Amino acid sequence: MIFRSSHNFFIRSALWSLRALFILSVISLSTTTLLNAQEIDFGDFSSKYTVSITELIPAEDLSFGMVIQNEGLKTVDLLDAKVLMIEGVKYLDVIVDITADPYLYLNNDVSCNGSNSNCIPFTLQAAYANRGNNNTNQAVLMQVASNVASAQFPILARGNRPPGPPPTPVYEGYNPALFNETAYLYLYGSINVGNQNAGSYSGQIQVTVTYD
Amino acid sequence: MHSIFMKRTLLIALFLVLGNYYVKGQSSAQESVNVSATVLGSTQSAIEIITVNTLQLGNARPVNGQININPVSDLNAGYMIAVGNPEAEFRLNYLPDRILNQINGNGSLTFTYRISGNDEEEQATSEPLDLENRNLRFNEEGRFYIWIGGIIDLSNAPPGNYEGDFTIEIDYI
Repeated sequence: MIFRSSHNFFIRSALWSLRALFILSVISLSTTTLLNAQEIDFGDFSSKYTVSITELIPAEDLSFGMVIQNEGLKTVDLLDAKVLMIEGVKYLDVIVDITADPYLYLNNDVSCNGSNSNCIPFTLQAAYANRGNNNTNQAVLMQVASNVASAQFPILARGNRPPGPPPTPVYEGYNPALFNETAYLYLYGSINVGNQNAGSYSGQIQVTVTYD
Repeated sequence: MHSIFMKRTLLIALFLVLGNYYVKGQSSAQESVNVSATVLGSTQSAIEIITVNTLQLGNARPVNGQININPVSDLNAGYMIAVGNPEAEFRLNYLPDRILNQINGNGSLTFTYRISGNDEEEQATSEPLDLENRNLRFNEEGRFYIWIGGIIDLSNAPPGNYEGDFTIEIDYI
């Protein structure tokens, strides 16, 4: 009897170890989810919170205008930046990812040849203002490396106040406009004009906005 | 027993991951911005306007007291060539109404100019240049062709010889 009961105990403890091992492996598999859960991402709690990004002046290029061969550095300053408006729930954080072409290409020919005679190096700069105004004086500069920039910020800056209470959940008759605010994104930068061929050059900047 | 437990756990884990992606997909937005520049050749030359033919009024016959020289079709139209930077854009301006003065007398006439332009050297396919149509471009050889006509009212003009000038202004944009 004693022998049988200790045998059972041995089997049970082995099973518990297996179960624990399995749970651990599940935990390690879904580490990302669990790590995210340590900060509260209110944006995850409803699929009805929407965010939009639009151009302040639609269809307007970030334009460097006319440049002359070998002109060198030509800059569009923050003051003359292309402005995008991000509208979303004011107390939620958004993650803004920006990726720009490394060059402006002649006649959209992206095969930049070795001598760069058909492409102009482009250096992106970006900033955002999240104090409710389209005001470059309130702009926060974004770190840009190799024409890729990323930043996380609330649609409406909290200032020095602590984070507010949890957001109003989406309920029947929920009016998002009551909780929405607009943040402003500024895209600017410079091109370096060398001995490129004369003609029209263009490139693209892709901007993605996601709730944290 | 254990396999049921494992299945449930796996299902829950899968659901969590899917749920996470689903929500993120709903609440994101994308925008694409165009960046542009136009490069001009460094041998940016001053714009030159060459008069090839002057506007001829001598052969024109008045109809109802008016001489009307159509810049697109009339052989008496003046002909000028503007020379500048290849493929550069330019803005063209002119004063449509000019006074022609009688050479030996006090008479004067008002001439209303009409001009047309083309990036090919062909008058018949040239396009009238109106106030809204003045952002133009030099061709690959850096040339732009201009024909000058106009309307002149002779009904109240004393006989005599008249002369005046025509001012055309071209600037790079």
